[in-house]
Amino acid sequence: MIYAGIDAGSRTIKVVLIDAEDTRIIAKGLTDQGVEQDKLTLELFESVLKDSGINKKDVAAIVATGYGRNAVSIADTTITEITSHAVGVRRLVPDAMTVIDIGGQDSKLVRLDKGGRVRDFAMNDRCAAGTGRFLEVVAQRLGVGLESLGRMAAKSRSPAAISSMCVVFAETEITGLLASGTACEDIVAGVQAAIANRIIAMAGRNVDLPIIFTGGVAMIPGMDTALQTALGKDVTVSPDPQMTGALGAAILASNHITKTGT
Amino acid sequence: MPERITLEEWDLRYERLQRTGLSQPHYGGPLSRHIEDGDQRLLKLRYDNSAAALRLWNFLLTEEDRLRDARAKGKKLIGTMKDLGTVPVMAYSFDNVTAFYPDGAWWIPCVMELSAGLLSIADSLGIDESFCPVRAMLGAFLTEAHFPVPDMLICSVGATCDDFSAIAQRLNGLGYPILWWEIPHRRKPGPDEPVVSLPGGFTAPKCQVEFVKSELEHINTALEELAGAKLDEEKLSAGIKEANRVRRYLAELRELAFTAELCPLPALEMLIAEMLAIHFCSDRRETIGVLKELLDEVKARVRAGIGVLDAGAVKIFWVNPVADLYVMNMLEDCGGRICGTEYLFTHALDLIPEDLPALEALARMALADPMVGSSADRAERICTDIRRFGSEAVIISRIPGASHCALEGEVIGEIVQENFDIPVLEIEVPPVTDSMRPTVRTRLEALVETIKARRKR
Repeated sequence: MIYAGIDAGSRTIKVVLIDAEDTRIIAKGLTDQGVEQDKLTLELFESVLKDSGINKKDVAAIVATGYGRNAVSIADTTITEITSHAVGVRRLVPDAMTVIDIGGQDSKLVRLDKGGRVRDFAMNDRCAAGTGRFLEVVAQRLGVGLESLGRMAAKSRSPAAISSMCVVFAETEITGLLASGTACEDIVAGVQAAIANRIIAMAGRNVDLPIIFTGGVAMIPGMDTALQTALGKDVTVSPDPQMTGALGAAILASNHITKTGT
Repeated sequence: MPERITLEEWDLRYERLQRTGLSQPHYGGPLSRHIEDGDQRLLKLRYDNSAAALRLWNFLLTEEDRLRDARAKGKKLIGTMKDLGTVPVMAYSFDNVTAFYPDGAWWIPCVMELSAGLLSIADSLGIDESFCPVRAMLGAFLTEAHFPVPDMLICSVGATCDDFSAIAQRLNGLGYPILWWEIPHRRKPGPDEPVVSLPGGFTAPKCQVEFVKSELEHINTALEELAGAKLDEEKLSAGIKEANRVRRYLAELRELAFTAELCPLPALEMLIAEMLAIHFCSDRRETIGVLKELLDEVKARVRAGIGVLDAGAVKIFWVNPVADLYVMNMLEDCGGRICGTEYLFTHALDLIPEDLPALEALARMALADPMVGSSADRAERICTDIRRFGSEAVIISRIPGASHCALEGEVIGEIVQENFDIPVLEIEVPPVTDSMRPTVRTRLEALVETIKARRKR
């Protein structure tokens, strides 16, 4: 049997199909999020099916997760991204105890128990200061691509102190830093440290190892190092970090069918 | 059968209830009439469908009328601010005094959208959104559209909310005289200090109780001058006994609502009912009637084994009141139910000692205020109630701009988790959450998912 997970995030939509036998990913796809969320999701889902040669009828159940999960009309049910990321990460890293997910719009820290269930979680508030949006703003302001940020941060000798807790105000700070001649590398390193510190503030004192970093921002070089420095603990980037939410949703879809027996 | 219904559904139910001989107080009527007064946000809420709940809502939403009636009848109006439950007990011990909470005006944006314009007026007075939504009070004073200007304003300062002190000082500066009284930060007695027990299981040094008592004596004198009558021990003791009737009903209501197998009353109605403890909604006698009817309804539901939510609803302990009432509905929509609350006025729910001199008893009650003690004290009390009500998770809600204590969430969360292996979630609830609903909902849903997964262990 095949199950589908759809992660309708704030920046991208991800689809994962798994084989229920071994929860192996058999197909996946990704597209940018937009205004017509449901239409975009359906198009992506159909294109993943087509590319993998799977018939829609063979998909036993679909679970949607992510910020836009309630707009996915083809889903049989919805589950929050907290649960989905936990399940997805545990599938890829079976001994994971802490999941840090930084997405385009929000960030979260999920603590797991030894059985892999969510023990506790924390999410950022309204401000985008601890999210991928912060990195987008700084990349835009510096006129560089997101992929360059890690390389730039690695060259920093003295990361700038970004004191603001708000992306909008931080942008003003960046303007000030540029005007005062601060190196772009130091600004990027400062912003990455600021994001990492926001995550640490959510985490509190107890963060169990192994810590697995997931979500779209995990793919941006340098962020894992920034988190590692802030936490003082090893942080491992999840395999296929952008897909863990959708993978978890697909696994939960198979549980859903098992439970409901439909 | 009990259920949560919309305002439109309430209109239909109201007609049916009327046909079957619904008995209503003078302020009764269909809920939808309050929309005409501008309370637009009522359209977005879901309500308990009992006649008792209808009475509760009508009582809450007609407070302005009662205040104007009281003024017309020549009663003295006292605006009591910040102490949440102490001065009203004194004021209602007079026959010709009505006390109310102008700071309750922060509720106005909760039910009236932002169109009431009160927050804009506060903005124009330099009290912007970086302050607690209580700032709506400033606008309400200036427009005089929501309550008559009181004959006397009494406000506690000291170990209270900094935001509120600033707002009240601004009000004072605008030409509204305030009788200030000081409440000190409750501290643990030193080794050589005489110890006094307070309601709620707290203690304080005797000198602090004596100090607060002396502050209340000043208020007593001022109230006597205004009312033109003496407030002797007998009258004040009678006032305390009546306040305790309210508190006993609430205690029973809380016990039943939080421990019944099926939730017998929605979170929203429970929140409104608890709020009555601090200000009696400008009519102490009617408060007793409203609560009694609500309690009777809840008892009947518990006896019949019926409720408003699924049997599997996740038991949540809620800390701090919300600024947007819809969030209480949302919690239930997500599969949660309230089993325990700490809305920052637990001292107004505890019985006032009746075996002590009246002012001494009130001073002890005032010092038991959760806001005048440490966050650790609050957390200990929360832990006691978690144990009592069997709560499976804790939600600490914050209001942007309102800082009762900068670290309260963290301190409470840590202490709760030291005592119980249960999740603690902090959420921010602005006065109007419309644009934030998906975000808040995700947190609530995730918490419910987490608890349901834990139950399977």
